[in-house]
Parts: sequence; C-alpha cells; structure tokens
Amino acid sequence: MNVALPIVSAPPQQDAGQADARRHLEVDRVWKSYTAGVHVVRDVSFTLAQGEFLTLLGPSGSGKTSTLMMVAGFEAPSRGAIRVDGRDVAQLPPERRNFGVVFQGYALFPHMTVLENVAFPLRMKGLGGAVRRRAAMEMLDKVGLAEFAARRPHALSGGQQQRVALARALVFEPDALLLDEPLGALDRKLREALQVEIKDIQRRVGVSILFVTHDQDEAMMMSDRIAVMQEGRIAQLGAPDEVYLHPETPFVAGFLGETNLLRGQCLAQQDGYAVVRFAGDVIGPARVSRGGAPPCAGAAVLASIRPERIRLLRTDETAAGVIQGVVADRVFLGRHTRLTVQAPGQTLIVSTAEPPPASVVRGTTVRLGWSREDAQMLNETGEATG
Amino acid sequence: MARPDLAGRLTLYGACVPVLVFLLLPSLVIVPMALTKGQMIEFPPIWISVHSFTDYLGDPQWFESTLLSFQVAALAVVIGCVTGSAAAVALHGKRFSGKGLVSGAIMAPIVVPLVVFALGGYLVFARLHMAGGWVAIGLLHGMLVTPYVFISVQTSLLAALNPLLVRSARSLGAGRLSVLRHVVWPAIRPGVLAGGLLGFAVSFDEVVVALFLQGPRAVTLPVRMFAAIQFELTPKVAASASLFLALSVLVLLAQGVVMRRRVAA
Repeated sequence: MNVALPIVSAPPQQDAGQADARRHLEVDRVWKSYTAGVHVVRDVSFTLAQGEFLTLLGPSGSGKTSTLMMVAGFEAPSRGAIRVDGRDVAQLPPERRNFGVVFQGYALFPHMTVLENVAFPLRMKGLGGAVRRRAAMEMLDKVGLAEFAARRPHALSGGQQQRVALARALVFEPDALLLDEPLGALDRKLREALQVEIKDIQRRVGVSILFVTHDQDEAMMMSDRIAVMQEGRIAQLGAPDEVYLHPETPFVAGFLGETNLLRGQCLAQQDGYAVVRFAGDVIGPARVSRGGAPPCAGAAVLASIRPERIRLLRTDETAAGVIQGVVADRVFLGRHTRLTVQAPGQTLIVSTAEPPPASVVRGTTVRLGWSREDAQMLNETGEATG
Repeated sequence: MARPDLAGRLTLYGACVPVLVFLLLPSLVIVPMALTKGQMIEFPPIWISVHSFTDYLGDPQWFESTLLSFQVAALAVVIGCVTGSAAAVALHGKRFSGKGLVSGAIMAPIVVPLVVFALGGYLVFARLHMAGGWVAIGLLHGMLVTPYVFISVQTSLLAALNPLLVRSARSLGAGRLSVLRHVVWPAIRPGVLAGGLLGFAVSFDEVVVALFLQGPRAVTLPVRMFAAIQFELTPKVAASASLFLALSVLVLLAQGVVMRRRVAA
C-alpha cells in the first residue's frame, strides 16, 4: 500500500506565532461513575498544549476511552471540569464542542462520497455549497486524496479511509483531534504505516492530538507525552523515555514493556539515589522515584531495571551495581539476544543488542552490571506484583 | 458441486413442480374465471371476454370500494411507517429493563388473534362513533402495518447504522435532527420502503377488521368480494381478485428491487 504523502508546498496552516497558539485543552480532576460508588475514571487531570500529541495508554477498562468520550462530549463527567482555553465545556453537547473525533473503523458515512464526507462538518456549520466544497477539496488535497473525491468510502483502502476520516475531522479547524484507538483493528504492518501517516499529517496541520491506545509501542512511537492509565487513574504522565526508563509503579514498569523487578531494602539515600540491599546481599544503587516520598533507611523497596539496561560485564569491567548469576537460557531474536540469568533470589532477563561472546551458554556464570540511573525505584513495594 | 445428472434433475422437478402448482393454482385459477363470457362465476369459464373487468370498474359500488381500499391502505401505510420506524429508531442500541415488553407490545397487533383485535377495535371505535368509517379501518390497519415496518427498519438499522456513525456526525457538528436526516434516514430508507410495501399489501387484503368495522359508506374491496361471493356470484369478484393478484406481484417486484439496492449499497 502506498502511504507516502505528497509534499505540500503551502505553508502550515497554523504558525507558532499566531494568536491562538496558547489554545489548549485542560482536563481538571474529572471523575466518572455509571453506578454509585463504582468509578471508571478517578481524579484524572492533564493538559494538552497547542500542537502536542498526548496519549492515554492503558489496558481495557482503565478508563482511557471513558476519559476521551467525556472530552468529546458523549459522556458527562460526574465531577470535574473540562476546559478549552479556560472555558468550561463539560456541559456542552458534542456538536457544540469543537473537537475532531476519529473512531476505530473511521465511521465514514457510507452513502456519501469522499468529498461529501469531508464537507459534512462545514455543511453542519451552515456554510454554502461552493465554499464548503472548496474547503473540503483543499483538505483532501492536503491528505493526498483529491483524485478520490467522487468515490464512496467503501471503494477506498483502509489507509485512504483513515486519511478521509482525518481530513473530515480537521476540515473545520477543531481545537484538538481526539483519536479513539483508530488503528486497533488493523494488522501490524498497516498499523505502523498509518502511525507514521498520522504523525505526518499532524506535523503539517499543527493540530493538538489526544490519542487513546492500549498498545505501548504505538504510544511511544507517536506521543510527545504519555499518560499511563490504570483502574481509572493516571498512574504516570510523562515523555515516552521518561515513563519507559523511570516508571513510578510496578504497573507502569510492566505495562510499557518487559522489565526486571528487584525487591530489596533501602540502606541510605542521597541526592535522588539510594543504596539498596537486594536479594543475595547484592548491594547496588537505584534512582529514587520522583512521585513518592523518598524511602527511609530500612524500608522495603522495589526497583525496576529494563532488560536492555543490564550489561554483561567482562571480567575486568565493573559497574555501579553488580550481580552474579548462572545463564539459564540464551535466545537469539534477530535484533537482540535474550539471556535468562538465575541470580540469587531472582531470575533476571537481559537483552543485548550486541550478541554476547559464544562462551556464554547455559550454565555459564556471568557478571551483570547496571548504572545507577538504570535502576528505578518504584513508589509501591509491589507485594502483589510479580 | 457436481451437476445433478438427468435422473436426479427429473426427480427434483418431479417433486417441486406439483408442490408449486399446488401452491399457485388457487391464485392462478382466478384469472381465467375473470375472463368468462357468462354472468356467473364458474369453472371452467366460457371463453373469452373482458366484460367482467368493465362491469367491475363500471359498477359505482365496486369502484368506490376499490378506491376506499386504496385510501385505507394509504392511511395505514403512513401511520405504520411513522410509528414503526420511530419505534425501531428509538429502541435501537438502547438497553433497559422492559425493552422486551415494549417490543412485544409493538408486535402485538400481528400476534393477537385477528378476531380479538378486530372486536376490540370495533368496541373502541363504536364508543368514539367512528365505527363504520374508513378512517377507523385505516387506523386499525395502521396498527397492523406498524410491526412489519418495525421489523424491517430494525433489520436496516442493524445492517447499516453503526452507532459510531451517529457519534461521528455529532462530533462533526450535527444536532439530533441533523443526525436523523443525514445519518439515520439514509440507513433506514430501504427498510421503511420495504416495510411500507409489505404493509400496503397487508392492509389492502385485510378482511377481518374491515368486516367488523364496515359501514354503508365503508366497504373495502375484500369485504365487497366476500359479500358478492355469498349473494351475487358475479365474475366481478374474479376480476377484482385478478387486480389483487396483479398488485401483489407488483409489490413483490418492488420489494425485490428495494432489497437488491440495499444489498448493493
């Protein structure tokens, strides 16, 4: 499938210097419950800055879609405010808010042509036929679909349908785009192509995007910031590298990818780093979490180390944290090699881009090391989490 | 699949043709009977004349009844289409306790024995001094048409109205009325059409309600035929029945066209 978009010579619609550059969306302490006492969204707050790509990431039932639906106006918050440029829109019906919403499957009107689909929001605004046709054609041109204007949606490929849906959601210059798992039903290859396309269109139009997905790779590849949601709350909100490398809870650490969770006891802490005694009397450093209170000496702690942040040490090499173990398994996965190492008290997963020496096989004793910023102390001791 | 051999095909035709003849004969036998030269309805007919058709259309009473039946059916179809599609749209995608009860109530007119329905209708409209008028028959027929439209619109909705289309439209600035016009109506149009056509046929040849609520100025065509077969035995009955047959074929064809378009859409 062809996903390349023609390069548009016209300058982007919204320059950074324009007057509405400060326009932003603010979700302020929003709660939602359908049945008394059961909250599907709990105290969710975030702001979406002009031009920002923010993703609500979480498993199903985490409240991400409910949050998006409240922003769109299809659900009313039980408590809290939703503001656009300081104006509370929580009581407005969806048609009187100014958001472009794109759903899974795109929900194009089957009985209308591509042009009529894109012109529809302008028609609802009461614009005349000629004006809205011209504006719709311009937008179709921007997404590279001008020659498909007279077709019906079902005559287009999945990627083309997505571009029509984006054009339709963008043509009326919304305050933000709200995307509800638009790629959820597609296979991986097409999905990756369309991710690139969404980012590309966003860059050219300069629109803010609030995106919902359960796919952590998708979230990391597309977002400026990610809000990881769990049981109706935002567990952590930050840039992709921040939430990935410095998770604050076992849930965030586990949801964003494979990780090693190490239990230990805090011995001392200073300047944002702690000295921890891990299982087997291994003593090493860990980065103190920003979110929670710093642990005092003697407290039980849990730290997360990503498999690719653990290094296989040569005999003459040392690191801030060193642990010894026996290789239990070695698997070559193409882009990286994965070792399973049995260390005292725990099993560690190590992922190396560079294949380890051939001498490292099952039964070999190896030394593993990590730098102090690679071990992230979590806010919870994670008694219930593995 | 393998092509059936000759013996197999003969067996197939041997089994099917008699059944089809059995099903169609009572309907088809009417047409030659309408073409008789005689003044009595009889079989075999005396070939061949169209006088029964001219007699039928020339008789003011028969003509009036035909017109009345069209009037009744038209009113019934309008009522049925409005209530049936409104109910289907209102219930679509909703979940509440008692939804089954509501659906049941809408379907009741074609589930309740027709005699009971007609008697109840007669008692109500007699009280309202409307029995014996075509409007009362049309109203009751409207109730009979409603379930047909309801079912057929429901089918359309399930097939063509993704709830996300409605949400999309609203986020794109469409109020509830615009959603009805631009999203819901295009989706249900084939269903309304198909249900309305079927409803027309149902009302046009309905006889029990029409019999109970007939009046001197409100005798529908089927009721007139029923009376004629008892007292007159003229071939006009056969002529009007032929008209029915032609109408039914038309309705079936029209429905076929509607359904095919729906599949193509």
